[in-house]
Amino acid sequence: MTNTMVISRREFMTRLGLLGSLALTYPAAALAELRQSSKGIPLPDWIEEPVWKTIAQVQETLFPAAEDIPGAADIGAAIYLHKAIENPYADGEDRDYIFRGIGWMDELTQQRYTKNYIQLTENEKEKIIEETVQSKAGRKWVSLMLTYILEALLAEPVYGGNPDGIGWAWLEHQPGYPTPAADKTWDQLRQRRS
Amino acid sequence: MNKEYDVCIIGSGAGGGPVALTLAKAGYSVLVLEKGPWFTEKDFYKDELACCRRSVYTPELSDEQHVIEDVDSDGQWVGEPTSESGWDFWNGNIVGGSSNLMSGFFYRLKPEDFRLLSEFGPIKGANVVDWPISYDDMEPYYTLVETEVGVSGRFTDHPLAEPRSSKDFPYPATLEHPVSKRFDQACEGLGLYSLPTPRAILSGRKDNRRSCEYSGYCGSYGCSSGAKGSSRAALLDQAVATGKCEIKPLCKVYKLSSDNSGKVVSADYYDVKEKKQSVNAKLFVIACQAIESSRLLLSSPGPKHPNGLANNSGQVGKNLLFSAGGAGSGDFDYSTMASQESKEMKRRGPFVNRGLQDWYFIDDPALGGRVKGGTVDFLLRHPNAMSKAMNAKWDDENDLVWGRALQNQLKSIFTDNQTLRYEIFCDWLPTDDCFVSLDDTVKDKWGSPVAKVRIGYHEHDLKIGRYINEHSMKVLSKMGATNVRSSISGAPPANLVAGGCRFGHDPQTSVLNADCRAHDVENLYVTDGSFMPTGGSVPYTWTIYANAFRVAERIKEALG
Repeated sequence: MTNTMVISRREFMTRLGLLGSLALTYPAAALAELRQSSKGIPLPDWIEEPVWKTIAQVQETLFPAAEDIPGAADIGAAIYLHKAIENPYADGEDRDYIFRGIGWMDELTQQRYTKNYIQLTENEKEKIIEETVQSKAGRKWVSLMLTYILEALLAEPVYGGNPDGIGWAWLEHQPGYPTPAADKTWDQLRQRRS
Repeated sequence: MNKEYDVCIIGSGAGGGPVALTLAKAGYSVLVLEKGPWFTEKDFYKDELACCRRSVYTPELSDEQHVIEDVDSDGQWVGEPTSESGWDFWNGNIVGGSSNLMSGFFYRLKPEDFRLLSEFGPIKGANVVDWPISYDDMEPYYTLVETEVGVSGRFTDHPLAEPRSSKDFPYPATLEHPVSKRFDQACEGLGLYSLPTPRAILSGRKDNRRSCEYSGYCGSYGCSSGAKGSSRAALLDQAVATGKCEIKPLCKVYKLSSDNSGKVVSADYYDVKEKKQSVNAKLFVIACQAIESSRLLLSSPGPKHPNGLANNSGQVGKNLLFSAGGAGSGDFDYSTMASQESKEMKRRGPFVNRGLQDWYFIDDPALGGRVKGGTVDFLLRHPNAMSKAMNAKWDDENDLVWGRALQNQLKSIFTDNQTLRYEIFCDWLPTDDCFVSLDDTVKDKWGSPVAKVRIGYHEHDLKIGRYINEHSMKVLSKMGATNVRSSISGAPPANLVAGGCRFGHDPQTSVLNADCRAHDVENLYVTDGSFMPTGGSVPYTWTIYANAFRVAERIKEALG
């Protein structure tokens, strides 16, 4: 497939400034509403920890927001990741690798810019990711970060990402039903294996 | 004091359910030991994480795994533990087994499948044989499955239709996707018989089971309406309701102990608290799915069975079968359609329900005369969103895609087209290079050797697969699909497995007799897909169900 270079019609129009308020139907309107309504929701304390601040910003670089595209923060990527890797049945290797990778990022950004990742410009952040994916280990780490971002985008909202099904709406994806209740998430069911 | 049951069944899937129900209804006391947990309709949601991305219905590979032996680049057989490769060979270790998670494409075998050797002759390097029973022996039980498990469909007479003792299916076909009409038209143009695929999915209520609710998420998912004809929903729930059948989940049988006469006396297992237990029964039935059934027999030596139960001829685990063939797909771009048409193409819920058997038998000089072919089943691309999205992470050069490029790619994958797929089912010829043994070093969490599976295939399988594939691709092109692509390979699909304990008349070359009783163990039966000496060219489940109902009658007679 060669679609990586193809920009969507909507994005094309956005770039040309053709999408005015009339086009603010969907998902831009839904996104705007989501962004507005999420402002008042208190965030957990851990989100202020330096490592999670970095994680959230890396996620945003990997999955940036636009007027009509939900970004990592919109889809709750950090909240999802935290829940996913702190889960008692989580893959411990993933957790270790994610934190190890953040350490590498810190080192690399210090080397290149003598700054922390969160202090970089968008352009600098992209350059750091571009450099990271050059190595095998770096590529594996970014790939893992993307895996959890895509899960956050498309998993049932009960897992902490995809608020109000914004990821599904953006991709015009019709989820199945019934959707799991809070006491029927995969880890609750997994518990019954042991 | 230990209670003695009439029958102890190990495994609760399509091989175990029919036996449990038949014997419980006949008044015998039945115990079913199942390794996995007991989920019900109240536990099944359309949750991709639970179904497909985490180990909920199958064990963690670090706890229980297989060793897969494949040929390396030097032509040597090399084993790799699945915990290292990630190639998971488990298929639903829960009450009802993997029948909970099937798509329910239900095809009968054809009369010729019961006599492959006499019909098509020997193939060098393949252990092709005739079955010890005929299609006529199985037919009443295929019919029984239609009513007991619940098969929906629409019978159409065609040159390859199997003989039926009932006129039509007991349940009308499930709702069909608009793409099916396009498929029918293309087949008409190509002179092919478009066959409505029967499905083990209810199109209306049956007892406590509701009709299909057409969520569009079926295969790989447990069914929350009870419409899918899993062994659990269709059979075990009824068996338990008789008051004669007890199901113990989370009980892992590690050995069958036999006495000096060679009879099985107990099933030894770890209970839910991981405590060793033992249960006695007059008769034992193994139905753990092919690989694990062979493994359990090999793990159960006794005074009369030094090399494993029922293995005095060294046949246990031999002639393991998968399903040969491959898959293909083509895209239907919404941009080329009128808005109503694209709306219809986008529909999620109804089934495609179409298959082709025009190449079930192939008479073409290019293949050296009349040979056995296979079935092609058509279906929409699986709706799982995350697995679809993960494809967007890598480009053609195997470079990571991220940022805006990734988002554009996602948008395109999700919104540009509908994808129609097909799966080809051919005979996986039985050979000396496909078998189950016990691994010398890798053990499960209870300390038992895991199954080592050699997965060699016969070149003939690829030849047939490629032939059918050429024709199948033409169907998609005729339908107007673009980007038609396909792959035929010798890689075994882990969810389509049978053989390992073939049935036959000769104890030297088979494990089971025609009744699926072990030749040399008078109170031991195997009722999953293990009995099949050749696999046919359709998914196995209907035949496993039918045979298990057939064997249940023999067991009833044996119990007196």
